[in-house]
Amino acid sequence: METQAARNAPLERKVRLAAFMRKHFWGLLFLLPAFIIFILFLWVPIVKGFVYSFYHIDFVKGNSFVGFDNYKVALHDEDAWTAVKNTVYYMFLCLVIGFWIPIVFAIAISELRRFQGIVRVAAYLPNIIPVVVLYGLWRWFYDPVGPINGVITGWFGSEPVAFMTDTNWSMISLVIMESWQQFGSAMLIYLAAVLSIPRDWYEAAEIDGAGVWNRIRHITLPSIKGLLGLLLILQLIGTSQGYQSQLAMLDGGPNNATLTYALLIVKYAFNQQNYGVAAALGVLMFIVLGLLAIVQYRLQGKEGDVR
Amino acid sequence: MRKNLVTTVAAVLLCSSLAACGGNNNAPSNGNQKPAESNANASASTNTATDTPQQTEDITQKKVKISIYYPLPDQVENRKLEDDKIARFNKVYPNVEIVKSDWHYAPNEIGIKMAANEAPTFFNTYATEAKFLVEKGWAADITDLYNSYEFKDQINPVLQNQFIIDGKVYGVAQKGYVTTTVVNKKMLDEKGVAVPSYDWTWDDMINTAKGVADAKKGIAGIAPMGKGNEAGWNWTNFLFEAGGEIQNIADGKVTAAFNSEAGKKALDFYNKLRWDADVIPKDWALGWGDAVGAFGQGRTAMVIAGAEGVLEQALNQGGMKIEDVLTYPMPAAEKGGKHTGVLGGDYLVINPNATKDEQEMAFRYITFDYFTDDYLASLEKDIQARQTEGKFFIPPHINYFSPDSEYGKKAQAIFDKYDNVYKYSAESNALLDGKPEAQYNTQEYYGSMTNVLQEVFSKKGTDLQAQLDAAAKEMQSKYYDAIKP
Repeated sequence: METQAARNAPLERKVRLAAFMRKHFWGLLFLLPAFIIFILFLWVPIVKGFVYSFYHIDFVKGNSFVGFDNYKVALHDEDAWTAVKNTVYYMFLCLVIGFWIPIVFAIAISELRRFQGIVRVAAYLPNIIPVVVLYGLWRWFYDPVGPINGVITGWFGSEPVAFMTDTNWSMISLVIMESWQQFGSAMLIYLAAVLSIPRDWYEAAEIDGAGVWNRIRHITLPSIKGLLGLLLILQLIGTSQGYQSQLAMLDGGPNNATLTYALLIVKYAFNQQNYGVAAALGVLMFIVLGLLAIVQYRLQGKEGDVR
Repeated sequence: MRKNLVTTVAAVLLCSSLAACGGNNNAPSNGNQKPAESNANASASTNTATDTPQQTEDITQKKVKISIYYPLPDQVENRKLEDDKIARFNKVYPNVEIVKSDWHYAPNEIGIKMAANEAPTFFNTYATEAKFLVEKGWAADITDLYNSYEFKDQINPVLQNQFIIDGKVYGVAQKGYVTTTVVNKKMLDEKGVAVPSYDWTWDDMINTAKGVADAKKGIAGIAPMGKGNEAGWNWTNFLFEAGGEIQNIADGKVTAAFNSEAGKKALDFYNKLRWDADVIPKDWALGWGDAVGAFGQGRTAMVIAGAEGVLEQALNQGGMKIEDVLTYPMPAAEKGGKHTGVLGGDYLVINPNATKDEQEMAFRYITFDYFTDDYLASLEKDIQARQTEGKFFIPPHINYFSPDSEYGKKAQAIFDKYDNVYKYSAESNALLDGKPEAQYNTQEYYGSMTNVLQEVFSKKGTDLQAQLDAAAKEMQSKYYDAIKP
């Protein structure tokens, strides 16, 4: 009897699978492209990155297994620690300088009774400027005889600031430039959230004598709290991988002052052709970001429990 | 039916996914394969290819497709010249299909290009890259093609030798340069600054720069490059002028040598330019394009580079007048010293992934115009066309042929006929002293020195010797110790 059941089991599985396929055929077919793209462009590179971190990579002559050598090189490289410090500093600056700007703009625009559409478009415009133009534009803004230094020297009578070449200013200058360019997209997301808050809440608060600040503090901010948390996490992840403006404007200089961790990976991979160490650095970053994601997930879970 | 369809679709997608993940077809299938084995396989396959009857066939009768190094879109005049060459080449070789590739060599892109097998059949590169490309296996060994080339003995040996390694030829010299200082004479005249003699010194350079610099207007006397590897490359000229070396090779070891007394002297000169004379741009983080662009815009009176590129930008894109731009040799450290500049050059390298036929056709294309009257006729036509358009022709500072050769004299006779051809000063040329770059890890050395220079430029009172020693230690431990020359 048992033997008969065991003999029938594969057949039953086949029948169930066929029934499942018949029922969900179109759904599965629509999922297939996304599945393939994810596998090809997300998971294959991630897995290959792990594998490559244990190899000396030579695309022409062939790879050779080197154990943990790439990790040793990465961890013994002084530039790697400089890059970690710079990246943390960059993330911090992006929070301090850049995080609140889209929130303020979203709230301000939501309060406008007229010209809201025009202002919204104007605020988003920097986002569509090609980066080459952006870098040229800001290089001029920051020039020793450019408009910003014109104000500093002309109005305040101070010495011009070397925004690009003073190591104290270089990273801050890049963050200001990026904040100017990128705040528009986050602003639109916040604006959508702010505009979805029921107007009668504000009307009730106004009747109760709440001023603008109190309305923001007690209605707007609590209502978009979830979104604030989400965009904060996304910003932290995004800025931890930042390297584009550092590469284009200063190539990581002056004297490594804007060398971020991701830029170091790029330099290992493409300047030194040392893809193994670059992969090892990438894996280390993956692990750290993964741990942060888990911590954030747990914290969110605990917060949910308290509620 | 539906089941079969799903199975088929899945199988096709799976196969295409695996194929896409498979990577370079030229790479060995076994990731652990040792380079030696790989090389042995490669040479074995080459031998087989040579032995096959295919190779004895007339190459002019076969369909061959080659992708060629083609000027960038902004180099309109050069593109016209190249189009003319393609047309003439196709008249002789109608069997060859030519695909234009405007990918130009970049050290940080070549790895990806080769891995993806997307590099053109031949591509440009610079003198520094010879050893690197050969070690990586990214330059085809063209010794046989070169040896059977009828004009090989007339090619400028100073340039060509950079791409002959252990007796094997890996590239063809196109043109070269000794690094120069290009001076905006008009800016000097406007400020009443005396134009220095071509036999000038570091002191003359500083004094000239001081006379022109006007920080309030954002005008610098000189713009030494301060960003990217080109910063280290610029400074190396001064290292050479002070009598220093980048590295020493002796007793089977490579040793960093740029932290010598000469190195300190050269670094001190940069220190003076920045802090004592204050003649460099306040925003000194300038790469090649930024510095040359600043020169073209009249924001610096002097720039250090191979003359041809600067002149092209200044005259054809910046609209400067031909008499306002002077090409100087690098200044000597002291009176009577040598005007040493880094010897550089442009080379064309054939892709080792190309088939033997493609490699041969690429070689024929590269050398198609060399030493021919057809090219001189085409060149003259181009110069005339530029004259009508108000554009200039800037001849290479050092050509693949000797200026004293018969062909060189013919070319010079054409240049002399036209006033829109830039003329290098004979006095200046006589002082040029070219010195080849380091053999090993040149780009890494430049990168390391760039950090040192940025430290000097950004912090007053930097301990110069300590900076040089730290950079030398880094180069030694990271790169030189692993080399067995």
